[in-house]
Amino acid sequence: MGWNVACYSAAMLCALFSTAALLHLSGGDVAKAFSSLVIGAFGSQKALLGSLAKATPLLLVGLGTVIAFRAKIWNIGQEGQVLAGAMCAYWASLWIGPLPYWMAFAVLVLAGLAGGGALGLLAGILKTRFGTSEIISTVMLNYIVIFLLAYLLDGGPWMESGVTVAYHQSPPVNTMLEWPTLFGQGSAKLHVGFLLALGATALSAVLLERTPLGYEIRAFGSNPTALRFRGTDISRLLLVVMLVSGALAGLAGAGELFGTSHRLRAETLLGIGSSGIVVAMVGGLRPSGAMLAALFFGALKSGAIYMRLQSGTPAGLVSAMEGLVLLFFLCAAVATRIQVTVRSEVHA
Amino acid sequence: MENLLSVQNLTKRFGAVTANDNVDLDVRKGEIHCLFGENGAGKSTLSACLYGYYRADSGVIRFKGEIAELNSPADALRLGIGMVHQHFVLVTNFTVLENIIVGSPEVGMFLSKSAARRKVEDLCRRCGIQIDLDREIWELSVGEQQWVEILKALYFGAELLILDEPTAVLTPQQSDQLFAILDGMRRQGLSIILISHKLREVMQSDRVTILRKGRVVATVETSGTTAEAITALMVGHKVTKHVSDRSIEPGRDVLVVDRACALGEWGEDVLRDVTFSIASNEILGLAGVAGNGQKELFEVLMGVRTLSSGGFLLDGDAVAVPTSREMLDRGVGLVPDDRFREGLIPEFGTAENLVLGWQRKPEYRRGPFLDRRKLNALAERKIEEFRIVAASADLPVERLSGGNAQRVILAREFLHAGSLLLANQPTRGLDVAASEFVYEKILEKRAEGFAILLASEELDDLLRLCDRIAVIFKGRIVGIVRPEETTLLELGMMMAGDASNLDGHLNDLSSKALRQ
Ligand SMILES: Nc1ncnc2c1ncn2[C@@H]1O[C@H](COP(=O)(O)OP(=O)(O)OP(=O)(O)O)[C@@H](O)[C@H]1O
Ligand SMILES: [Mg+2]
Repeated sequence: MGWNVACYSAAMLCALFSTAALLHLSGGDVAKAFSSLVIGAFGSQKALLGSLAKATPLLLVGLGTVIAFRAKIWNIGQEGQVLAGAMCAYWASLWIGPLPYWMAFAVLVLAGLAGGGALGLLAGILKTRFGTSEIISTVMLNYIVIFLLAYLLDGGPWMESGVTVAYHQSPPVNTMLEWPTLFGQGSAKLHVGFLLALGATALSAVLLERTPLGYEIRAFGSNPTALRFRGTDISRLLLVVMLVSGALAGLAGAGELFGTSHRLRAETLLGIGSSGIVVAMVGGLRPSGAMLAALFFGALKSGAIYMRLQSGTPAGLVSAMEGLVLLFFLCAAVATRIQVTVRSEVHA
Repeated sequence: MENLLSVQNLTKRFGAVTANDNVDLDVRKGEIHCLFGENGAGKSTLSACLYGYYRADSGVIRFKGEIAELNSPADALRLGIGMVHQHFVLVTNFTVLENIIVGSPEVGMFLSKSAARRKVEDLCRRCGIQIDLDREIWELSVGEQQWVEILKALYFGAELLILDEPTAVLTPQQSDQLFAILDGMRRQGLSIILISHKLREVMQSDRVTILRKGRVVATVETSGTTAEAITALMVGHKVTKHVSDRSIEPGRDVLVVDRACALGEWGEDVLRDVTFSIASNEILGLAGVAGNGQKELFEVLMGVRTLSSGGFLLDGDAVAVPTSREMLDRGVGLVPDDRFREGLIPEFGTAENLVLGWQRKPEYRRGPFLDRRKLNALAERKIEEFRIVAASADLPVERLSGGNAQRVILAREFLHAGSLLLANQPTRGLDVAASEFVYEKILEKRAEGFAILLASEELDDLLRLCDRIAVIFKGRIVGIVRPEETTLLELGMMMAGDASNLDGHLNDLSSKALRQ
C-alpha cells in the first residue's frame, strides 16, 4: 500500500516538474502559471463548481472505458460515442412533446445512453460478425460521427442561422429541457449529471466486483477461451460490454449539452472522449480510481482556463500536461507491479 | 566424479509458504539428475532459483566449485546453466537456425550464419538430434520445438540443462526420442536436471532427489532402487493402485455418438464418422497418439466445436445445436487437457475459478450479486477435500503449482457434473499419489452412475480402470476393445493405425476357430 502511494506520488511530482520545465522553456512564468492554475481550480466556490462540472463527463467516459478495458476490449471510440449521445439527445429534444419535466428528463438521459450505446454496439457487431478489430472500427466511427455532426451543423438541418451569419452550432435547446442545476448559476454551475456520474461510479464498481456479469467481464479480459468453454456466449458478452461502454460515453455527451453548453457544438464536446480514456488509465482501470482521476483532470481543465487568462500560457500546455501525467502514471503502474516480485524476494 | 553444481541450505519463501526449505543438492558432471516430488513440493521453484529467475532467500549455490551469484537468467546462462521452458519462447516464423542463434553473444555486428550453422550441425551430430535447420518453427511438432530449445541452450554453451516437466506435453514416442537425446548429451559430459512425474522416465535417470513439502527427503542412485521405493519416499507411504470394480455392470446409455464428423481450422477432416456410446456406470477409455482427434472430440462433446455431420444423443435426447451452456446445464463436466487455456481464468483465485461456468447459478448468488461468503466457504471445503496447496482462496491460480491448478479444475467438475464426465488427460502434471486420488474420484463417480470418457496417454492406467477402450487414429475410431481381452502391444498397434492388421489377425483367429 505504502509503496503504491509512493509510486503514484512520484509520478505526480515528475509530471509537475516536466510541465514546469515545458513552461519555463516556452518562456512562461512558472510560479504565476501554477498559482493561477490552482486558484482557477480550487480558489473559490465558483472555481470548485467549475472543476466538478468539468470532471462530470470525464468520469462518465472514464467509467465506460474502465468497463471495456477490464475485458481487454479496446473501445477507443469515446469521442464519437460522446457526440452520438449528445446528438441523439438533441434529436429527441426536437420532437419531445409537452411531457412532465421528469419524464422529459428521463427521455433525454435514455436518448444519450442510446446514442452512445448504439455506436458502441455497432463496433461490437462489426467485431463479432466480421472480425473487425474494435480498435480500428471505433476510430473510424469517430470520424463518421464527427463529419455527420459537421454536416448537420454546417448547412444541415440543425444549423443555427442568423440573419446574415451562420454559426457552426445549433440553436439553444428548449430552456424547459435544460438539466436541473445542483449548485451555482451562470457560467459556474453544477448540473444534475454530476450526481448521475457519482451513481454510475458506484454502479460500475458493484457491477465489476460483485455481479456475475462483472465476473464475466473480468474473466473475458484474462482468458476468453476458458470463458467460452465454460458456457458463456462471448459474442453476446462483447456486445453487452460495447453497449454499456458506449452508453456511458453517450450520457456524458447528453449531460454536457443539456447541463452546460445548451447548444450542440462540436468544440465543446471534442476532447472529452480522449481525456476520459486518460482518466480510466490513470485511475488504474478501477471505478474509484477513475473518480479521483476525473476530479484531478476536471480541476486541471477548469484551472487552465483561468491560467490562460492570468498568465497567457498556451492552452496546449494542458493537453501536454495530461499526456505527461498519463505517461508517468503508466510508469508508476509498472513500478507497483515490480514491487510484488521485489517484495517476495525481500520477504525472507 | 566431480560435482558440477552443488547447492547448500537453499531456502526460498513466498510470503508464508516455504517452497524450498534448506535444500541440499549435488549434480555430477555427466549425469541425469531427477527431481521428484509431490505437486507443490518446490521442484519448479528450486529450478527457478538455479536458473536465476528467483533469488534464493538464503543458501549457497556453487557451480564448478565457485560460488555463483545468480541475479538473472542472463547470469545463469553466462555461467553455463540453461533452461528449457515448458512454454516455449521461440519465434514461430523464424527458422530453426535463426531461433537458435538469435540473442547469442557472438552474433554482435556480423551474423555469420554459415559459421553458426556449422556449430549447430556439430551439436546436432554429437547429441543425435535430427532436425532440418531451415524449417520454420510453426512447421515443427511440439517434440521438435523442444529440441530447438535444447539446441539453443547448448549453443549458448550450457553445461547444465534444466528441464521442467519436458514430457508433460509429449507423446510416449516423442518422450523416448527426447530421452535418446538426453542420453547423447550425458555421454558428452553434460549434466541434466530433469523434473518429471512419470516413473518410467524417472527410472532412466542416474540419481533421483526426492522432495517433500520443500525439503529434500533423500537422494538415491536409480540403479539401486525401485519405482515403488521412490514413490514411497515421496509420499511417505505406499500408494495403492485402484482398479475398476467389475461387479458394477454398465447400465443404460448416457451418451451415444453417431457418425460424428468435424472439420479443423483449415477445413481438414479431424473427426470422421466417430461412433460410440457410453453407458452409466461405465468408463470408456480413449487411447491414441496425441493429435489424432482426441481434443476435437472433446470439444465437440462440450459444444465448442461444430459438427459437420452426424450428431449425438445425451440421455436419449438428440442435442441439435450444442452450446457449452447447454452441455453444462445438462450435467456434462469437462476436464480439458490444456488447463490454463481452456479450464481456468489465470488471474482469478481458487474461489472464483471453482464456479467458472456456474457464476450465474442461483445457488452462488444473493439477489443479483455473487455471494462471496458462499464462494469462500466452498473454496475452503474444496481446498481441504482436494488438498490444494494455495496460500489463500484469492491467490491467482496462475501462481499455483501445476498440479494444484489441475486440482482446482477437478474439484469444480466433480462438484458440478451430473451424469457425464469428459476427462482429457486428467492426470497430466499430477504426482503419482494425486493421480491415484483422481482415479479414485473417477471410480467413485462411476459407482454413482456416471458415464465417463477418459483419455490418457498412460495405457496401463486405461487398462486397469476402463470398462472398454476406444482407439482413435486420424480422427477415426479404429476399434473398441475390452481391457481384459487386450494387451498393451495390441493397443499400441491400433494406436499406430494398424487396425487393419489387427482385424486381419482377428479374422485369422476366428476363421481358425471356425475351422476347428
Ligand atoms: N510466485 C509465487 N507466489 C506464491 N506462491 C508460490 C509462487 N510460486 C510457487 N509458489 C508456491 O510454492 C510452492 C512450490 O511450488 P512449485 O511450483 O515449486 O511446485 P512443484 O514442485 O513444481 O509442483 P508441481 O509438480 O505441481 O509443478 C507451492 O505451494 C506454490 O503454491
Ligand atoms: Mg512445477
